[in-house]
Amino acid sequence: MDILNILVVGLLLGGIYGLVSIGLNLIFGVIRIVNFAHGELVMLGMYGAYLAYATLGLDPYIAVLLVVPALFVVGIIVHRLVLQPLHAESNMQIFATFGLLIILQNAVLAITRGEGFSVPSKVAGFTFGVGDIRVTVSRLVIFLALTATAIALHLFLKRTLIGKSIRAVTQDRQAARLMGINVERTFTITFGIGSALAGLAGVLLSPIYTLSPGIGGNFILAAFAVVVLGGLGSVAGAYFGGMIVGLVEAFAGFYIDPELKQAIWFLIFLVVLIVRPTGLFGQVGAEEVGFREQN
Amino acid sequence: MSRLLTVENVSSGYGLTPVLRGVSMHVDTGEVVAVVGANGVGKSTLLRTITGLVHPTGGDITFDGVHITGLPAHRIVSHGLAMVPEGGRLFTFMTVMENLELGAFNPTSREDTQQSLHEVMELFPILRERRAQRAGSLSGGERQMCAIARALMSRPRMLMLDEPSLGLSPVMLEKVFDLIRMVVASRDVTVLLIEQNVADALEMANRAYVIEHGVIAKTGPGAEMLHDPDIQRAYMGL
Amino acid sequence: MNSDDLATADPSPNRPAGGILPWRRVALLYAVGLLVTLVPLLLLSRNFFWLNIITYTYLFAGLAVAWNIIAGFGGQFSLGHGVFFAIGAYTTARLFLDWEISPWLGLLPGAIACAVVGPLIFWPTFRLKGSFFAIATLAFNEVALVLANYLESVTGGPRGLQVPFRAAFKNMIFTDPRAYTVLMFVFMAIAVGISIVLMRSRLGYYLLAVREDEDAARAAGISVIQVKLRATALSAALTAIGGGLFAMYIRTIDPLTLFSLPDIGVKFALLSLIGGMGTITGPVLGAFLIIPLESYLRAVFGGSGPGVHLILLGFVMLLAALFMRRGVAGAIDSLRQHWRHRRSA
Repeated sequence: MDILNILVVGLLLGGIYGLVSIGLNLIFGVIRIVNFAHGELVMLGMYGAYLAYATLGLDPYIAVLLVVPALFVVGIIVHRLVLQPLHAESNMQIFATFGLLIILQNAVLAITRGEGFSVPSKVAGFTFGVGDIRVTVSRLVIFLALTATAIALHLFLKRTLIGKSIRAVTQDRQAARLMGINVERTFTITFGIGSALAGLAGVLLSPIYTLSPGIGGNFILAAFAVVVLGGLGSVAGAYFGGMIVGLVEAFAGFYIDPELKQAIWFLIFLVVLIVRPTGLFGQVGAEEVGFREQN
Repeated sequence: MSRLLTVENVSSGYGLTPVLRGVSMHVDTGEVVAVVGANGVGKSTLLRTITGLVHPTGGDITFDGVHITGLPAHRIVSHGLAMVPEGGRLFTFMTVMENLELGAFNPTSREDTQQSLHEVMELFPILRERRAQRAGSLSGGERQMCAIARALMSRPRMLMLDEPSLGLSPVMLEKVFDLIRMVVASRDVTVLLIEQNVADALEMANRAYVIEHGVIAKTGPGAEMLHDPDIQRAYMGL
Repeated sequence: MNSDDLATADPSPNRPAGGILPWRRVALLYAVGLLVTLVPLLLLSRNFFWLNIITYTYLFAGLAVAWNIIAGFGGQFSLGHGVFFAIGAYTTARLFLDWEISPWLGLLPGAIACAVVGPLIFWPTFRLKGSFFAIATLAFNEVALVLANYLESVTGGPRGLQVPFRAAFKNMIFTDPRAYTVLMFVFMAIAVGISIVLMRSRLGYYLLAVREDEDAARAAGISVIQVKLRATALSAALTAIGGGLFAMYIRTIDPLTLFSLPDIGVKFALLSLIGGMGTITGPVLGAFLIIPLESYLRAVFGGSGPGVHLILLGFVMLLAALFMRRGVAGAIDSLRQHWRHRRSA
């Protein structure tokens, strides 16, 4: 029974990690840029949910409709202003996005004066039991949302013309240009979508965690681990990678030591990065990000 | 016959390295024009400059009466100018069908996608057979065929080919050149091709240019250049 | 004096193999540069507030120079140097606390450990380029943080280690705060000196070649991996020494401080960036610009609300990345080259 419990905990945790990472995965895979401030986009989603609750009394699951488009716009602005000018310089991207991270974290800190918020939801807190296992609605919603999002994203990339153009850009930018695809605009839109997905994660996570400006930091490294493990640009990779990370953390936390669980999936991340940079499902891998200079 | 493409005194290069130094040439409707020369003299750069992948540092390019100098590549294809890059550069992780669909992506040709698909698969039946296959799994000749088909999907007035014979066996090479001839015959499309394979290119071309060290060294009708002893000595090992 | 000068070697017998400037000139510039950096100390030695800032400035200048060896000159952008910093800090502190080993000696084991550990952990990740190398080194920092919190018997866990105030020269604990300032100044001077010697040596020449084009360097017969590992060892060892000095200055170290990215790991990179990566003087310049600025911001804005001064620092980073890619030293360089052109034209 214990194992089943851990399994469920791990899968639900994997849902969280997957949802946070799915946007990053898309961005990484298509645009091949590092955004260290991705965790802060999730954080903004969380605070956005709080704002919707505090000003409009909205339940977070409704606030999704406001916050997600807002984060889409934020993403577009960030890409245009900060990342597009630095498209060829990965070192500067690290600095710029780190600077953004510091700005966002501390801006929220300054505005909220360090007060911790929580976002109540009528539905989220319910738990129900399946046999001996207890499941919280909020975590289940995240798991379902991740699954739905992954399927939707997959279909979008596979079936729609815009989705196909995004895949084309991922594979060969010059050839994409020759098709008439505006590569720069594709990047911006992709970044917007990735940010919107981060916002979605943030909103859905807001009933679970107490909000704090630094909470993005909890997720960003996990998100990198998931992305590398699953494989750049692969939706399935983000999905299953998230599951694996969640399961590893749950099992390691139980069998080895809860304090070491972060270190353990980090070590896994490092091992994957070194041994199989393509990840489990990726088409192009970490090594390509630096090696293959595309323009 | 009217002037379709005019390249006037164009200089171009990568970073600080100049490759083309004042190249002037033109293509008229219905022609097949070849630009030949040794490796690295600037043939590819010429095509890539015309198609907007490289920005010229000087000169002017006019296509179908429109100044396209300095336009970004993704805009140029809407004007009716399509290029088959070196090696085809198919999207290898996507299917043949998806590659073809993307060929028609640009706004001018997008609504005719279905019609274009039909025409193109009529021209190259094997692509209909392979349409659900990943482009990366095609053979060399099939890939080149798919790349040409993809370029035709944008319903271009002019088709540019960058070294279509590259990496192909002599048999495949013949097939590809036959394909190009067929395309010219059945579609109202003008062709500009660059080639290291001088003999085959000159055989196909109405007119040809020889590039050496970034400038045009010689020009004339294809047949004449084919039998020019200087060219034969320099490029055809005769 | 910068890497551009060093890169164009003159084969004539009067010049040294490594660069355009003869040794005597270099030594002179070095001495003058050091004297210039001494000026703040001499002017402000009575003011304890500024003295503290100057001390940190010297320390972080040395640390930035150390980072720059592998990152600026070697092209490997590391966000994991906090690990070496921490190893140095913990080792020096622990040896002093448990075995009363004088930190003057105690600095060495940490440095040697990092000279081994650094290449060991960087070696498998060198095949990663650009951002992914940075992320991997970031991962090292995070793993080390978790381990530091966990291994309480070694590191004192989350509470960390405290070094009691037992003033004595052999303890590297001084009653006169100016002594610490001088200590950090010496550290900076040594770091810069090592940097100069390195970049004028064959290893330095190879390092630059590897940074410019690994494949070309390999084709020319340079063992790319050996060059990178050696540079890493040097960089890590120097950083560890800085960490040890930090431990003896602040005398209370804990994982949150040592592994903090904005304060330590990314700070080294930021100072080099602002001053000019891949130059000798750049990191020093960056330190002299940023550390006082940051302290000033904290003093002025710290009161108006939590995090306000950090917002400004974040903007500095962002704007520097967007507009000052070659750093101040790079900008000065461009001006000098511009002058040279004007003169010869």
